[in-house]
Amino acid sequence: MHFTRRTFLQGLGATGVAMATGCGLKSTLGGQPAIPIPAHPVLLVIDIDGGWDWLNVLTPMSGSNRSVYEASRATLGIPVDQLVRVDGEAGINKDLTGMTDLDALGRVAWIPGIGMNNPDLSHFVSIALWGQGATQPDGTGWLGRFADKAFNASGDVLRGLTVTSDLPEMLHGATRDFVSITSSSGYVYPAWLRSDRIGLPYDPQLMESGFAAAVTPATTDPSQMAAAKSGKLFLDAQNQFGTNGTLPPRTPTVPYPGDPDYPLKSGKGGSLSSALSGQLKLIAQMLAAGLPTQVFFARLSGWDTHSNEARDLPNLQRTLGGSIKAFYDDLAKVQTPLGNAQERMMVVGYSEFGRRVPENQGGTDHGTAGLAFAVGRAVTGGVYGAYPSLSDLDPNKNMKFTVDFRSLFATVLDRWLGQPASTTNAILGTSYPRLPFL
Amino acid sequence: MADLTPKTSWTAEDAAHLARRAGFGISPEAAAALATQTVDAAVNAWVDGGADRKAMDAVLAASADVVDEPSRKASTTAGSVDVPAVPAPHPFLVQGVDAWRNDFARAQAYLAFRMQYDPYPFAERMGLFCHNLFATGWHKVDNVALMLNQYQTFRAHGLDNFDDLLVLVSKDPAMAIWLDLVDNDAAGGNVPNENYAREVMELYSLGADNGYNQTDITQLARALSGWSFTVPASSAIVDPTNPDNLTAAGGNFRVYDGSANPDAYLRDLQLQANLPKMHGTGTITYLGQTFDIAKPPSGMVPGEDALRSIVTSRAVQCSQFLAQRLLIHFVTGRFTEGDLTDVAAMIRAAGFNLRSVMKTLLKSNYFFAASNRFALVEGPVSWTVRAARALGYDLASADAISPKGFPAWSNVADPYFEEAGMKLLDPIGPNGWKEDVGWMNSNTIRYRTKIAAAVALGAGAPDSSDARLFPSDVNRWFPTAPASPADVLGRLVALLQPGAIPAAVSTAWLQALWPSGFTWETAAQGNARVLAYLILCSPAGQVY
Repeated sequence: MHFTRRTFLQGLGATGVAMATGCGLKSTLGGQPAIPIPAHPVLLVIDIDGGWDWLNVLTPMSGSNRSVYEASRATLGIPVDQLVRVDGEAGINKDLTGMTDLDALGRVAWIPGIGMNNPDLSHFVSIALWGQGATQPDGTGWLGRFADKAFNASGDVLRGLTVTSDLPEMLHGATRDFVSITSSSGYVYPAWLRSDRIGLPYDPQLMESGFAAAVTPATTDPSQMAAAKSGKLFLDAQNQFGTNGTLPPRTPTVPYPGDPDYPLKSGKGGSLSSALSGQLKLIAQMLAAGLPTQVFFARLSGWDTHSNEARDLPNLQRTLGGSIKAFYDDLAKVQTPLGNAQERMMVVGYSEFGRRVPENQGGTDHGTAGLAFAVGRAVTGGVYGAYPSLSDLDPNKNMKFTVDFRSLFATVLDRWLGQPASTTNAILGTSYPRLPFL
Repeated sequence: MADLTPKTSWTAEDAAHLARRAGFGISPEAAAALATQTVDAAVNAWVDGGADRKAMDAVLAASADVVDEPSRKASTTAGSVDVPAVPAPHPFLVQGVDAWRNDFARAQAYLAFRMQYDPYPFAERMGLFCHNLFATGWHKVDNVALMLNQYQTFRAHGLDNFDDLLVLVSKDPAMAIWLDLVDNDAAGGNVPNENYAREVMELYSLGADNGYNQTDITQLARALSGWSFTVPASSAIVDPTNPDNLTAAGGNFRVYDGSANPDAYLRDLQLQANLPKMHGTGTITYLGQTFDIAKPPSGMVPGEDALRSIVTSRAVQCSQFLAQRLLIHFVTGRFTEGDLTDVAAMIRAAGFNLRSVMKTLLKSNYFFAASNRFALVEGPVSWTVRAARALGYDLASADAISPKGFPAWSNVADPYFEEAGMKLLDPIGPNGWKEDVGWMNSNTIRYRTKIAAAVALGAGAPDSSDARLFPSDVNRWFPTAPASPADVLGRLVALLQPGAIPAAVSTAWLQALWPSGFTWETAAQGNARVLAYLILCSPAGQVY
């Protein structure tokens, strides 16, 4: 199944990585100081899927980068008055609704230029590399390996949870996978089977025995084993999910993008997409219901703006930024058994790559270095790492990365998820510099 | 080593294996009948088709609705409208006055219906294979007619030479919208849009980073610039909900070549003015060869010779790529490097003719090897269709029930196909779906339990939101009345053809369902439904 297993990442380590330092820290610029890292932190990873054109999100405002930017983006360039300055030379696009407010509070760490040595311009190779977060790819993801190390081997079925219907490689461990749950109700056997209308009354052992019996060394067939493990995970999870597979209903305390009362509309005047806000509302409902989840995963697709970027990118930003801001505000009202949800939550957003500096006819093609961010009450806001040069490009005319993506993962693993440095380094394959936003 | 020599004799079990992998399954009786032919004759006929299809065509032609939709959803989405009843021929025409129809769920149901009943199942299987290989998504194309038009191309040309198929796909209107060929403008000094040029190599012919570099991508993008499609006025249809919108099912693919170019073209469901001049000029160096992108060989459009050169300049990589995709779909996900090399060599020896390739593969000892039986997790659409073929009504009975048509698919396809991991006609990205173990996670198997309930437990009229039921008749599952629980199990295993079920598990099932005594009456028939459900949901029920 593997044509070209790429091994270029091995042995990279700390060499070749620009040392990341905080600068322009919002705590000194009128924002609020960060709270201490909570006792029971929760992580939400948002996949900004498609490779976002972050040069039009956190955009050069002055200096030589601005000159190159304007020359390269004749029709798609963002004017300076559309930007809110975050540090000396770059500003946030006002279309990233709500994130400007969070930034002003000092709650956003921006990591421009995040990427990897020897980058790949393929979505799917890059998504795999981000998901693996390893020096030696082995088919597992960095959060999956975290689950291997940290989760109770025979329990903790809801501790790692994606609200997408698929299971990204990032969430796949050597011994266990994250559970995938996409709705807050009906997470049980089909109602028809439970209703006693067919045959014998419902007996969960009948189906559970089929799955549990197969998750043994006696099952040597990998395809059957994959099915057995998936089925057992579903059955174990549904036994712990609400009452009859249904969580208590919850009405969000603030409007989210896509809601009728959300003030901002799309460029065409219609509602913004609810693709992300629906996922975040579900997570808020899960937290309010007291689920023991420590790591969540969500995704917003549509960022592959080869064409029609002027039409699509503003709506995508409004959807992303507005959803995160609504979620942040909504969580302030959510009390969990382990503390206030807003205080417990950190949101990390990333995309598989950035896009080419010059535009094509109406869009931008695949590039390299990206922009990631972290949002939370415990985050010390500011820009971490150096903004990449728009003129000193690689042979394919793409930006050179300034922060290794595994520095972000290392920071999350040991500062937020509480792993010892040695465990973090083992999960990632070697030691990467930590970023001081936590 | 893959033993690609033809199998010389076979059994009903072998024939059933062929039908599962290269179709959507057949009954044990049909498998036994097929096995009376030689392998050679049976596979040739299976691949080439030619069975009588009058009954199928009659049902399609007579059904204004092949799926029952008593209340069409009104929508403000462009192209999706509240449709009054329309007489024959049938509503999935991709030309003419119905072309603006954009009912996605209905199109999914239609395709599943074809897979269940079409007398040429191999064409539907190749359609499904090609749909994953050349994955194109409705959410961006936003035109069901164009999506179905593309699917028909896969049915009709899925067995052509691969370079011919690649050219057809590259000229397909849905693809042109999906990967931005309609916006690939390299006229003058314009920077081309490289989306399609990248993916046609990475995803559709060679594999990531397998024999090309970034320069090749930009050069191919120049070669394919201007490959947009035009819409003759006769094909343009006014959207009744929005007179400003014009759309069409198809159109004439056209590369601007400097000659008169009067036709309109389509973008974002809007009919635009004349197709602008977008094709670049000059020579390119692509995969080590030089092409004049303005002067194609006779019979080709500008840039086409560069596209076709993928198959010749990178024959080894292209054949390996194709072999990999064919193996994980038709044979096994656990092939060796040696297997891959052998199948790739066979593809090259066949001149990339897919009809020849498929016949060789499906006749081979490798395909029928014991280690490759039940060695794949079945995709959810195929899995659902195969269960419905095994347990549901035949075509005549399904067509006879009231309301006319076959209501089950419209209920099951949307949203269950998506939640089970394969949103038919609408993959998230151009890489399609990961097959075999990639189909399995806790959410997808959860929805398989819902689909299994719909297919196996359906007994009467739906009476709740969860009763997404297929009509079926337990008595038809059992031509002779079973005399024992073991008889029930044996017949259901023969119909559903799961992988090996551990004896301890099946024994526990039978003891729970029939703790004492056995009489073949209503309660036992209900239990037979539950047993079919348990088989479909079990680990053994996911492999084929």
